[in-house]
Amino acid sequence: MRVVRYIGKRMLFIGPQLFGIILVSFFLVKLIPGDPAVMMLGPLATEATLTELRNEMGLNLSLVEQFYIYIKNLVLHGDLGRSWQTTRPVTEDLFLRMPATLELITLGLILGLLIGVPLGVGAAYLKRGILAKFSDYYGLLAGALPDFWLALVLIFFFYTILGWVPPPLGRLDFFTIAPPTVTGALLIDSLLDGNWAALGSAAGHLILPVVTLGLISGGPILKMTQSTMDRMLESDYSRYEEMCGLPKSIIIRHALRNSLPSVVTIVSVLYGFLIGGAVLVEIVFSWGGAGQYAVQGVLNADINPVLGFVFFAAVLSLIIYLIVDLIYFAIDPRVRG
Amino acid sequence: MAENSAAGTILNIEGLNVSYPVYETDPVRALRGIDLKVREGEIIGLVGESGSGKTTLARSIMQLISRPGRVDSGRIEYDGRDLATLGEEELRALRGNDIAMVIPNPRTELNPLVTVGMQIANVARYHLSLPRKEAKKMAMAMLEAVQIPDPTRRFKAYPHELSGGMAQRVVMAIALICSPRFIISDDATSGLDVTVQTQVLELLQDLVQQQGASMLFITRDIGITAHYCHQVAIIYAGEIVELASTQNFFDNPQHPYSVMLLSAFSHNPKLRGLWTKVVDAALEGAAESGCYFAARCVRASDKCRAEHPDMREMTDAHSVRCHHPVER
Amino acid sequence: MSNISAGHHPRTTSERVQAFLRALRYLLDVLRARPLFAVGYGIVVGVVVLAIFAPLIAPYPPETANPVDFLQPPSWRHLLGTDATGMDIFTRIIYAPRIDLTIAIAGTAISAIVGSLIGATVGYYQEVGGVPSFFSGFVMRSADVLQAFPVFVFAIALVAIFGQSLQSIIAAIAFLNIPIYLRLMRSQVMSIRRMRFVEASYVAGTPDRYIILRHVIPNSMAPVLAQLSVNIGWSVLLTAGLSFVGAGVVAPTPEWGSMIAMGFQNIITGQWWPSVFPGIALAVTVFGFALVGASIEVLADPARRRAMAGTMRQRRTKEA
Repeated sequence: MRVVRYIGKRMLFIGPQLFGIILVSFFLVKLIPGDPAVMMLGPLATEATLTELRNEMGLNLSLVEQFYIYIKNLVLHGDLGRSWQTTRPVTEDLFLRMPATLELITLGLILGLLIGVPLGVGAAYLKRGILAKFSDYYGLLAGALPDFWLALVLIFFFYTILGWVPPPLGRLDFFTIAPPTVTGALLIDSLLDGNWAALGSAAGHLILPVVTLGLISGGPILKMTQSTMDRMLESDYSRYEEMCGLPKSIIIRHALRNSLPSVVTIVSVLYGFLIGGAVLVEIVFSWGGAGQYAVQGVLNADINPVLGFVFFAAVLSLIIYLIVDLIYFAIDPRVRG
Repeated sequence: MAENSAAGTILNIEGLNVSYPVYETDPVRALRGIDLKVREGEIIGLVGESGSGKTTLARSIMQLISRPGRVDSGRIEYDGRDLATLGEEELRALRGNDIAMVIPNPRTELNPLVTVGMQIANVARYHLSLPRKEAKKMAMAMLEAVQIPDPTRRFKAYPHELSGGMAQRVVMAIALICSPRFIISDDATSGLDVTVQTQVLELLQDLVQQQGASMLFITRDIGITAHYCHQVAIIYAGEIVELASTQNFFDNPQHPYSVMLLSAFSHNPKLRGLWTKVVDAALEGAAESGCYFAARCVRASDKCRAEHPDMREMTDAHSVRCHHPVER
Repeated sequence: MSNISAGHHPRTTSERVQAFLRALRYLLDVLRARPLFAVGYGIVVGVVVLAIFAPLIAPYPPETANPVDFLQPPSWRHLLGTDATGMDIFTRIIYAPRIDLTIAIAGTAISAIVGSLIGATVGYYQEVGGVPSFFSGFVMRSADVLQAFPVFVFAIALVAIFGQSLQSIIAAIAFLNIPIYLRLMRSQVMSIRRMRFVEASYVAGTPDRYIILRHVIPNSMAPVLAQLSVNIGWSVLLTAGLSFVGAGVVAPTPEWGSMIAMGFQNIITGQWWPSVFPGIALAVTVFGFALVGASIEVLADPARRRAMAGTMRQRRTKEA
């Protein structure tokens, strides 16, 4: 079938694409000044121990050789090296942190959809109403607000003043026992474990960062929904449905269905962006997510986490784009062909 | 309700003026003082070039003039009711149910993501308040009525999977499913091959007459009207210039424009294209005061350039808007 | 503006003046139809003026700590309060656009120029075949790879590589934005390339370089300009974000992002002003640039600008 052939074709390109991304990021990240050996052993280390450590880490080899070893380890053992900061393998670190980030941005985007789509549809339908005005302002404002600042303002109101939410320090309260890791997403894990205390605590900690991301990402989702719906409601077939005297609700529902591909596209773009882009929000809430891990890596010349993060993010983006294509297949009979 | 007191008039248009505002110049007057009566069971042909206001007239009847167009004056009565006074819900109940439209280019106007069967069924479902199953059954019957080959399979097809002729039949099914009393066919077969066109038109005529409906048959091809219409109206620059029974019209066309149409339109698309350009040029040069056609008219006199002609009834069932009508 | 839709250039001076006046009239009509756009222009001009005259307006020096007056709430003495080191927040807010806008405008301008030139070249030769088309394929794939990177981490890495300075932040922003203009210009050029007047001068034997510079680029500027304005706003946000994690402008240089970061700890204990005010200044500025971008987008689209200006005209004639 066409779907299978299409996916197969997509898969063929994934390898070279990933290789290109690793190639560029490897030589780029290697340019970051700073000697990991010095950083690891501190200023008091002797030249001899430094050299020994450099040899052990393969830093004495040429860049091309280092790259070869890196790729070999990745392909043969799925090994992305170690972080000298956490002294653990990068893959382990990322499997711990990536779910934290994904849980956060998935919920954030769901909230963004819940805000953006209804507002966008309403604004496209009632062009002159208050709702359209509000959507206009909201779309522009959401694009202008720094997310990290919005997070701070929310903390100020809902934690400092009202005390409705837990302090912005991580994903759980200190005294809450974390559920055993299954998916890495605390909501799901605590549900599986039946650990209601952990569920409540995790949900409480999620509220503000999710609201932050939801409010910000609602803007582009709204704009996309509104402009596509506008176009669809003006399109030949919507006018024809109107001529046939179909109820408004049906016409809107059909137009929305025809707009879905655009909405899916913008959500996928936002998702890909937020994997790294949510880092500022992660920092504000001490979230311990993957973006934060990578930024710490850059700032401390710890390159393996950075490379590992770029690799993970690239793989995730490719998976997302694949899902998007599958959704297109499901929605549009013309693509199915 | 067959023959009521108003001599069976189902649609009555009086002095309709429609214009489109244009930035920084005067608005374009798409329709100027249209008067038209359609009796029950009657098929009336409306012939004119692209840009003459045919589609605007169709949309005005549906009360769906595309923005930023607006009705400046005049009224449209359907079955004794002034359409302008109806609310949005009442209009919605009329459209597709009492007044239906057969459109051109159905492949871009059918919703690409909904199966054609469901698109037909939807109309029945919402107008006749049928349950989903009943509506589907009815849509299926309708697909058979419009003689689509292999209707069971086509029911589940998407618009892009149909040929032009089949899509045209689907649109007819949508228009006819609620047994409307008045049908507007807007240049409906212009995109089809001549042979398919004849089949589709004959089917349309049959179905319309079976249901006892009236039809406003809009076309650019004057030849078609001779076969399918009871009356012919010629529209030029937003104005009806000749109105006659088909018999009278083809026996003795009186407006110089009608004569030119008849001679220039002998089924030659190239000539038609050329004609459109000529009309456009004439429209640009037309003086607002005189006859709009004067600039292109071989019979034009000073009177034509100075004074706008009124519609005159020449013989029974034959009116023309011309100072110097053509005589046999 | 008018020459964009008409697809030719006004030749004589008087034609140019007329075209300019027509564009101005459109702008005024559109601004009247959407007063919000006028607010956008007001904000942009206001921020630039404040930045230029900051030393005359500011009541305090921007980088001098005053430990006695730390964390003062807003008052007549300190309009927007003071931060943890006692620096006047109002002073620092109006000094900040000097840094933020310089970085954003310079970075965006560089990327727009470089990206547009590459994009125009690539688009122009897209369908020629041979070496040029191989080259354009390579360029586009590179852009793909560049855009596949997580933007923020990439920016921090670039700053880390070039060292923490004004120039390297500008370079990072320029580098990140190049693919946007590359793509935009390429698609523009590809459609313009097929237009008749370009085809005509091509057939007439005009050198490629001349056609690109004289016909293609001027006619595809409108969407680039619209993007430019939006992008400046976005770059201000990015600069602030970089400074917020400590990879951008270093304290005590007045910059909105680092000011928000400095007030981060205070907000939890209830002193909201060191963070909130710079954030508002930042948001308002970005908002202004976004509005200007949106207005350019409307002006560049003949249909939309006519519709908008047209409704304005109707309203005016109705009033008269």
